[in-house]
Formats: sequence, structure tokens, C-alpha cells
Amino acid sequence: MALQPAAGARDLNPLEVDGNRRLRERLAAVYRLWGYQEVAPPSIERLDTLEAGGAIDDREVVRLVSDEPLGLRPEMTASIARAASTRLAGRPRPLRLWANGTTFRSFIGDAGSQRVQEQLQSGVELLGVASAAADAELLRLLLACTEALGLEAHHQPRLLLGHHGVLSALLERVPCAQRTAARQALTGFDPLALEALPLEAADRQALQQLMRLRGEPTAVLYQLEQLLGPVGLVQDLGAVLSCLAPTAERLGVAVQLDPSFQPHFDLYDGLVLKLVCRGDAAPVEIASGGRYDALVGRFGGRPAAGVGFSFQIEEVRELLGADSEPHRSSAPVLVAYGEPALLGAALDQLQQLHGEGQMAELLSEPCPSQVEAEALAAERGASSSLWLAA
Amino acid sequence: MITVALAKGALLKHSVRRFAAAGLDFSALLDADNRQLRVPSACGRASGLLVRNADVPVYVAYGQAQLGVVGYDVLQEHQLPVAQLVDLGFGGCRMAVAVKASSGYRQAADLPPHCRVASKFTRCAEAFFADLDLPVELIHLTGSVELGPMTGMSEAIVDLVATGRTLKENGLVAIDDLFNSTARLIGHPLALRLDEGALQALVDRVAAAGSPPAAPLP
Repeated sequence: MALQPAAGARDLNPLEVDGNRRLRERLAAVYRLWGYQEVAPPSIERLDTLEAGGAIDDREVVRLVSDEPLGLRPEMTASIARAASTRLAGRPRPLRLWANGTTFRSFIGDAGSQRVQEQLQSGVELLGVASAAADAELLRLLLACTEALGLEAHHQPRLLLGHHGVLSALLERVPCAQRTAARQALTGFDPLALEALPLEAADRQALQQLMRLRGEPTAVLYQLEQLLGPVGLVQDLGAVLSCLAPTAERLGVAVQLDPSFQPHFDLYDGLVLKLVCRGDAAPVEIASGGRYDALVGRFGGRPAAGVGFSFQIEEVRELLGADSEPHRSSAPVLVAYGEPALLGAALDQLQQLHGEGQMAELLSEPCPSQVEAEALAAERGASSSLWLAA
Repeated sequence: MITVALAKGALLKHSVRRFAAAGLDFSALLDADNRQLRVPSACGRASGLLVRNADVPVYVAYGQAQLGVVGYDVLQEHQLPVAQLVDLGFGGCRMAVAVKASSGYRQAADLPPHCRVASKFTRCAEAFFADLDLPVELIHLTGSVELGPMTGMSEAIVDLVATGRTLKENGLVAIDDLFNSTARLIGHPLALRLDEGALQALVDRVAAAGSPPAAPLP
């Protein structure tokens, strides 16, 4: 019999579960304040929903053995967008929803066999607002979440922002046949692939400059206006960033505008974001998201507009580490009894403590003395002991 | 602090020289008495990790090193999410299909379907033969792959060829090339996107410090 969890899956101990729960609650409290309602999308979906029209590589989806093609969700946006466009189609827009739950991603491990990565996520979706107001709300909500989580200056939170539409506009000067390859080279940060593309020298040089275009938003926006002229997309992006800047500065979140940045999943077609912190050894991605209007459109949602983000709870817990240790006051009282006949009395005592709102647990075997009960309480991490004698 | 992963072996001397020209001195790694796997640069602003060839993209993909130097062959074989930044030009060799000189095969397409091919680079080999539409049975070896055809275990091998001397001395001949390989400067994509200029400046200095990447092939 196998005594280990399935490849890639993890067992969490009570301390870890408690840490995750408290982070999720902190986030949920912020979501509720902003008017978001909780939904619980299914873990299992049809593959065509999960793959979101080819945006998600089917090799990353954990498939189920079933009569119809089903899989476990690799992220939650597609499921929520589907529900919002079908069951919740009659509800007035904008629709503000949040959800938390586990996502599953399949990958091939170094040993050559399939592994499944489980991730606990908590995130929001704002559906039905096509204007940049939704982008601005999403980013401000994200900042409110970072404050609630207690991210501090030494975590060096950095918000990486890109825009699918702006990148497309910048790529319009490239001949159609090379556009996809050029986009891949830029988003994949591959200057050598860019160099190898059959392009005019001027186009190549423009793309090489584009690959280096990132940094403080005001400077990058200025560059974008020089390249594209006064187009609505860039003006909207500027307006969104100006709504963001003062709060980001107050919270110590550095904002980096990077037109060629795209997140891992190709779900997005507008603003894209990633929140990265400094971990002990390497950068840690704690949240990502963006605008996914086309995905909502695929499910028949009207208006076809949606934005959202999700936090990786485990990454946040590991990042915050000791800061999120549970308080000592959450330890229970250990109720012990001297002889078997006192079991009933011990249970009564337990119930009385529970009635007073005090956490208490039973020592399941009779215990000969108070001293021994105290020793056992200390061993179990209980706050104190209560020993009943005849 | 910038961390650079450098591959042990043939690329190390050139890599150290190139970084020295760009202002980071890791020459402590070249010292024959050195047993340290992580050394600070002479200026103390960066550190170098000494790792095996195939591990360079791993350290970079996980973000423990922001930059690394490794052969294109390793990148093709392991397909990790790293950014290829500069073709450094040195470490030139080619990935080739080789057979026994006496076999009579003139190109890879002449090999009989379902024949055995031994290689350390099975992923590259698999992609190459899939492109050729030639079904082959791949055998993974970790070194001395020339013995495959010599002992009769396989019809052909896919391996790196630098001068061709090893093939010749073992009675083998290269019949097709998969690709040419040179050393590449690679980077962690997210670190590059979050960079405030120091990393890109170092990349530019490394690029500028070398001769143009016209690697003389044997």
C-alpha cells in the first residue's frame, strides 16, 4: 500500500491549514467590503470549458477517466465566467464575485511521470464592465488585499503590469506573417529569436527597443504615446495608473509597467498583472490576473467583459512565514479524569467549558494524578489542564 | 546581488573571461585548488555558482541565479523556461547523427525504420526523427555513446561533435546535423522584467565584451 500522497499532491498539517484559513479570511473580508459575493465553482468541468478556447494548454489539465471529456480546474476564472454567463445571466451587471478553492495543474516531473500540482487560490472576478473603471477597481482592490495580508517593505512587493491590446497595437507595424512569432519572442523574453526573425532592419530595431521598454509607469506611458500616438488604449491605461499610483506609493508597492509582459495562461486580452515579492532566495509570484473579455464572450456573456485576479495562498503563507504563526491563546484546555467512572463528569465539564466559549479537549484515558495531567497538557501544547478526582 | 550560474568543464574558462571583460571577476573558480561551489566576484557585488552543464538552466529557471552560461544543446534538450539573451559565440559544436563508417548510410533518412538510436540527448533526437517521419527506438545513454554502433546495440547515435576526432577514432562518421550549438547567456525572465537596470546593464556588457558570434565550426 502506498503511504505517500499522489505524485505532486501535498498533505497539510493543522498549523499550515490554520495559516491558510486566516489568510483566506483576511482576503475575504476585503472582498466583502468591496461588495463581492462568494461563489463556489466546481472542481470538475468539461475540458472545453477548462481549456478556455485554447488559452490553456491541454497538457496542463488533469483529465478524469469519464464518459465525457472532463478535467480538474487548472484555474477558476473560466468556471466563474461560465457560471456568470449562464446561471447568473439574469443578474444585473456588474457582477462582483469571489471564490476560493484548490486548482490542479498537471506537469511531467523530472522522473518522466505525470505529477499534479495542487494550489490553493483565492480571487475575485468583476464581470460586465467593459470600461477601464473595472481595471482601476481591480487594481485598487488588489492593493487593499496586500495591505490586509500585511505585506511590508522588506517583502518588496512589486506589481508588474502589461496590456495585451497595447502590445497588439505595437506589433501592428510588423508584417502579419511574423506577428505571432514576434509576440512570442517579446513575451518569452527571447532577444535571440527576435534577431532571427525575417524582418526589415527598422522593424527589428523597433521590436528590440520594445523588448527593453519597461519601468516606472509615467516614463513608459510617455514612450508608448510617442510610439502609438494619442490612442484611447494608452490614455485609458494612463488613467488607470493614475488611480493606482498614490495608494501604491503609500503601501510601498512598486509598480512596473511592462508592455511585453504576459502571464502564464493566455486567457487575457486587456490589462494583465502579476504581484511579485522578494522571497528568501528567488522572486515569489503571489497573485496574477487581468482582463478576459473574449473568454466571457465565448460563453455567451453580455456584455462580454470580465476582469479578475487570484492570490496563491500557499505562496503568501510561506512568504509571510513567522508573521502568520497562530496565537498561543488558541490552545485548548485539557480535561482529564482520575478513574473510568468519571468519564461522564469529564464530558459534562468539557461541555460547560465549550458553553463558555473556551476551547477544551478530553484526555481519552483515565489519568492517575493532577501532576501527570499537567505534564500531558504541556506535551500536547494545551494551555492548561483540569483534572477531575472522585 | 546578482548570481550567475556557470557550467563546469569546457565552457568555464571562456565564461569567466567573458564576465571578467564585463566587469565581474570570477577567476577564483578557475583556480585548480578551488573546492568552493559558490564564490563571490572579486568586487563582491555578485556571486558565481559552479554547477554541471545541465543544471545551469535549472538554477536559472528557479530564480536562484538571475543569469547563467550554458550551451544551446543543453537548452534544446531540457526545454526549461529561461530567456536566451546573448549568443556568446564560444563552445561551438554541432549536434549530429553518426553511424559506423562501414554502414553505407549517407543521411539520416537512409536509416531503416524502427532502428535503434543511442543518445544522451533523447529529446533532441526524438524531435529530429519525428520531423523526418522516421520511427526509431531511442536508447538513453549517459556517455561514450559511440559504443552503441560499435557494439551493435544501435544503428546510429545522436551526439555533440566538436572536432570529429572521437568519431573518427572509433570508426564512426557524421551523416546529418540537427543544429549548431554555441554557448548562450541565459536569464530568469521574471528577474529581467523586475530589473531596475543593473541586470540588463550587465547583459549588455557581456554582449559587448565578445567578438561577434561568428563561431568557427570545425
